[in-house]
Formats: sequence, C-alpha cells, structure tokens
Amino acid sequence: MNKFLKKRLSIIIFILIPIIFLWHPNWLGFLGIQPYWPLFWLLPWSMINGSINGIIFGLFLGLILDAVTLDSNFSQIPGLILCGVWFGRIKIHSDLLVGHFRYGLICAFGSFLCGTLHFLQILFNNFSNNNFLVFIPGVQNILAEVFLTGLFAPLICSQLLRLFKSFMGEKQDNKFL
Amino acid sequence: MSDIRRISTNRWWHKKNSWIFFGIFLFLVFVRISKGSIYKDFYYFISKPFWPGQFQKEVILNSIEQESLIKVDLLKKDNIRLREILSLQESYNNDNISAAVISRKTGSWWRQIILNKGSRDGVKIGSTVVGPGGLLGRVKNTSLFTSSVRLLTSPESKLGVWVDRIQVNGLLVGSGDDYPNLVIYSKDADIKVGDFVSSSPASTLLPPNIPIGIVKSVEEPLQAKKMAKVVLLAKPHVIDWVQILKVKFNE
Repeated sequence: MNKFLKKRLSIIIFILIPIIFLWHPNWLGFLGIQPYWPLFWLLPWSMINGSINGIIFGLFLGLILDAVTLDSNFSQIPGLILCGVWFGRIKIHSDLLVGHFRYGLICAFGSFLCGTLHFLQILFNNFSNNNFLVFIPGVQNILAEVFLTGLFAPLICSQLLRLFKSFMGEKQDNKFL
Repeated sequence: MSDIRRISTNRWWHKKNSWIFFGIFLFLVFVRISKGSIYKDFYYFISKPFWPGQFQKEVILNSIEQESLIKVDLLKKDNIRLREILSLQESYNNDNISAAVISRKTGSWWRQIILNKGSRDGVKIGSTVVGPGGLLGRVKNTSLFTSSVRLLTSPESKLGVWVDRIQVNGLLVGSGDDYPNLVIYSKDADIKVGDFVSSSPASTLLPPNIPIGIVKSVEEPLQAKKMAKVVLLAKPHVIDWVQILKVKFNE
C-alpha cells in the first residue's frame, strides 16, 4: 500500500490541487489574494517529464480548475498549457540543478503570464465602456499573485521536485501518458 | 492595696460600654466624612424592587415590541397582497435554507463562495443568498451536496438595485475588488456618499428591499451616466453562515 502511494505520489498531489485551490486559506493570502497553486505542481512535473507532459497536464489542470470556479469570463487552460510547455523546455535547455530561488523567479513569471492572460480574457469578454472599472483591481490581482507565487515557489517546488524524482522512475513517466 | 485595686477597675477603658460608644462614634465620623454614601447605597439596594420606573419601563418596552411585531406582520401581509395585485416578485417568505460557507474565494480573479447545501436540500440556481448585513449574491451552480454562489463583487455580477433617497434604479456591477460599482443612467442623479442601496422593488431576479450597501464615493459623470463605489453591508470574507432564500420566479 505504501509503495503504491509512493509510486503515485505526483498524481495524488495533482488531485489535491483543486482542493487547495477551493480551500483558499486566508492566512496565506496577501490583499485577499492567494498564490497560483497549480504552478507549484506543474513546474516540477514538467521539468521531469518534458513539454508534452506539461501540455497535457496543463490542460487537465485547467479543465479541473475551470470546473470548480464559476467564471465563464475566462479560462485558465491557455495559461497553464503555455506554462507547461515552457517549464518542460527548462529541462531540455538546462541540465544544471535549478537553484531554489530560480524556482521562485520561474513560478513568478509563470503566474504573471497566467494572470495577464486571465486579465486580457476578462477585458476582451467585457469589451465595453466599463472596462476601466476592472483595470486597477486586475493589475493589483496580478501583482499580488506574482509576489505570493514567487515567495512560496522555492519552498514548495524544490520539495516536490525532490519527491517526484525519488519516487518516480523513468518507466512511470510514460505510464501516465 | 484594696483602694488601689478598686481605682484601677473603675477606669473607663475597662468598661465595655465605653468601647461600644467609641465604636459608634467612629462609625458616625466615617459616615459624616463619606457624606452618607453607605446609607445611600444601602437604600439603593433595598428600595430597588419598589422603584416605579424600572417595572414600568419593562412593561412599556414589551408592549412596544409586541406592537412592532404585529405591525411588521401586518405590513408583510399587505406587501404580499399588493405584490400579488401588481404581479411582482414575491418578497421574503419563511421558507429559507440555512447553509454554512465551506469554501471562500473572495479575492483574486474568482469571487465565489461554496455552501454546504445543494440540490438535495432544494437549492435552485438563481436563488438569492443573504448573510448578516444583507445581500451576498445569487446561486450560480448547484451540485448534489453543494451550491456555488456568485458574489456581488464578481466582475460577472450585474444586478438591478434601488437607491431609496433619490428613488432611482441603478445597476450594480462587480469590478473585481471589494467595492462594486453602482451605475446610474442619468447624468443629473443626485447621488451622494452615504446613500443606502437595496434590491430593487421592481426586480424580477431578487426579492425586493434586501439591504445591499452604502455609497462610498461618487465619480464624475461620464457619457450620460453616473458611477459610484458601494461598500457592501454583508462581508463575504468573514461570514460563515448564510440564508438561501427560496424564490418563486414569475412564469
């Protein structure tokens, strides 16, 4: 049982992401905004398994997270897919162990990318005279999310990467595809 | 010897009565210095049950409370009757569902709460959700055990509201922050900071006269419309229990 759990640790954590996303612990927030949780899982997963896996699991994550949120104004899928591809290419271009603080930088940039895509989708869908009403809160959301994601990423991503590497062999990688 | 002994037993401090009188004297001195406070306080406690005002006040307050309840009940019935005549949306009824908030996303891009009552408990999409203070939002989605509520602060939320002081209808639009925008399609509307905003009496989506918020700031008129920021009375980021109003929609 223990072995079974260890082998599928990454998938178990994947299932927990929407739960953390819904939990929305206020004490971890800043200006009522939370870090962008899915990136913490997507970064180590894509770095180990490559861009194709990154795209697929970015899509899966986006589908689940879109399902648990109400907004039909925007979708999280494009941002997560782009991040999946990009995070996967980090592995290809660099064999060096990425430092803890670089995780923070990468996740912060990923969060900025996703946040900007959300914001653009909202602006595009509500294309009217009231657009400027959402401009300031939108920018504030992006900045707070980038800050928090960058802050937590070094702590979470490096631990997840270590766990995924130790419990998941190359054979398991293909199994999930 | 015997003489000396007799004298010593006759000293005043050897007499009990002298000490009693001395004690009474000291007490009276204390009473004098304290300006009779002990007596006054003692009198306060023993006379309390016989005060005329206290009992009378309770009786009057009870009567006022009963009168208010009867008045509210009569007005409710009157309101329902008049609304039926005018074919308007029904106001509050007693058939509400209490629900706990199990997930809360009140910041960031998503503005929603998830409640622990779903379609199994009779929650329907479009039901109004109120919390301590007033309106929170409307049920957007239900599952068997949960229901998701779109908050008034969500950029997707648009509701017709009523500004009572100037008797004008407006549109409350979520802007993604904690203060939704009130849009009034009249450049000359005399809206002021502190105006009370409630659900519109003519609304077909919401029960009428539910408190929503208070105008926080008014912006300069733009293109024949006036805009204001509204502070919500119900605070979704701290409310743990809410009421889902079962609303009968007009066919």
